[in-house]
Amino acid sequence: MNPVLYARISADYPNRPGVLEDVEFAIGRGEILGLVGESGSGKSTIAMTLLRLIESKGGKARGELLFQDRNLLALPGRKMRRVRGREIGLVLQSPLSALNPSLRIGAQILEAWRAHRQGSPDLLQLLEMVNLPPEPGFLNRYPRQLSVGQAQRVLIAMAVIHRPALLIADEPTSALDVVTQAEILRLFSSLNRQMGTSILYISHDLLSVASFCHRIAILQQGRIVEANTTAEIFRNPQHPYTQALLAAIPKPPNCLETTTDCPSLAWSETINQAVDDGQYRAKDSLVCASRS
Amino acid sequence: MKAIPAILLALLLIVSLVHGGSYSSQHRESIDAPPSWRFPLGTDDLGRDRFVRLLDATRISVLFAGAAAFAATLLASLAGGIAGYTGGWFDHMVVRTIDVLLSLPSLFLLLVTRALMPLNISPVLSLLVTYALMAAMGWLSPARVIRAGVRSFFDSEYVLQARAEGCSEARILVRHILPNLRPILLAQFWTSVPVFILTEASLGFLGLSAGEPFPTWGSLLHELQNPLMARPEAFAPIVAIALCVCCFKRITPWRVSQI
Ligand SMILES: Nc1ncnc2c1ncn2[C@@H]1O[C@H](COP(=O)(O)OP(=O)(O)O)[C@@H](O)[C@H]1O
Ligand SMILES: [Mg+2]
Repeated sequence: MNPVLYARISADYPNRPGVLEDVEFAIGRGEILGLVGESGSGKSTIAMTLLRLIESKGGKARGELLFQDRNLLALPGRKMRRVRGREIGLVLQSPLSALNPSLRIGAQILEAWRAHRQGSPDLLQLLEMVNLPPEPGFLNRYPRQLSVGQAQRVLIAMAVIHRPALLIADEPTSALDVVTQAEILRLFSSLNRQMGTSILYISHDLLSVASFCHRIAILQQGRIVEANTTAEIFRNPQHPYTQALLAAIPKPPNCLETTTDCPSLAWSETINQAVDDGQYRAKDSLVCASRS
Repeated sequence: MKAIPAILLALLLIVSLVHGGSYSSQHRESIDAPPSWRFPLGTDDLGRDRFVRLLDATRISVLFAGAAAFAATLLASLAGGIAGYTGGWFDHMVVRTIDVLLSLPSLFLLLVTRALMPLNISPVLSLLVTYALMAAMGWLSPARVIRAGVRSFFDSEYVLQARAEGCSEARILVRHILPNLRPILLAQFWTSVPVFILTEASLGFLGLSAGEPFPTWGSLLHELQNPLMARPEAFAPIVAIALCVCCFKRITPWRVSQI
């Protein structure tokens, strides 16, 4: 079956050409692809390029961008607008600044709906889907009355409101504390399972990606240096940069073999969850990680 | 305490709307009269009731300064808004033009333009022209502020978010930019009103505001150019101006912070 998205793209900003150089990857139907790289490596630029929002920042994208058998880079602007939000959803990094401070949450979500459809959706059900209190009172709040985690859930709700085939999440948890972070990851995982949405999950943190991505692509200075299944990346990293990333994962003391008793919550929780999800065998890959 | 200037100004405005006197009627039997029960502020050298003229001047000055501030804010939002939105060469041109115009001495320009006008234009026309000139010069700084605001709003994350949702540019402007621009526009309006009131007072003192027999706060001050007329009661317009400017300076902070 064709992948949902196939990209072979380069991108330039006016004063900085070659931010992306022939970045090539594909996302299968229902797949979660993790995109990992240090800050400045061009992760956000990839997200902007896939939606062609890079143009509104003065940049330019080249190459090939096949989405559901259309080349998005060749689409006229009006048609591209219909793809945004309806067929490809985007969740931005800083939840509080991505919400308009002078619009109530309900109005804000309605805006996302009205961009493509008439009438109004069942907002309370939508809130419930992203584990927000399904109360009219919540819809009347302003963004400043929300916690960061709640704001992030609102953004996710707006991104999936039209049930897009592809969801792009640009470091959606980097502003959150570890517990909320784990909850949001679980939410993405369940959206993926319930709606079959493919997800491009962007992060600078290899470990958090490992817990729920099917495949991982490693980005370094605008190029993909390695892409493989999560288990293979952890078991058998090829590129020196991948090996360095694995070696840099912090390891809690004395609990490599007994993860369940591990006092380091953040670390063990993501690993445990990955084990629950049956995606890879934690101990194996962790031993690998510690050896590499 | 804080409300006292506002209450006094409101009283002045209300009385100016309902009183029966006429600003142009002359009382030939009592020219240049001192304050009395009949003429609380005395009469001027043409025998006109100063109090009645002050009341009418209050109405005219406040209303016209408000109208001019509205026009200036409108002009400023058009120029600043379009420049901030389009960016590029148009933005560049607008910003440069505003910079050049702002570097000219505006009071001098006002005086020259006003002084160059023929002396025989009708009083109403001279009044309109005076305020139109102030509006024509008063939109410059507001336009700069509004342009900067629009710029930063369009660069903001929530506009990026709206674009990612597939919102059209028109919708982004109406639903995302305008609500955030509102407090900026209001602040520009509320700060322009007292500026125009003071400018008109300066012009009037020099005899370059509304022509006779129209009373404005500025033209009432013209009387003070003659040292013989500088009696305490002739300073009443200054008190009214100070009261009014005080009110507007007070309005601005809370109006803006409430939104
Ligand atoms: N609007 C822009 N104009 C010019 N250069 C930019 C712009 N945005 C990002 N860059 C540059 O592109 C590179 C990649 O940035 P970005 O995609 O934001 O990286 P990441 O998301 O991985 O941190 C950085 O070196 C950054 O300086
Ligand atoms: Mg980024």
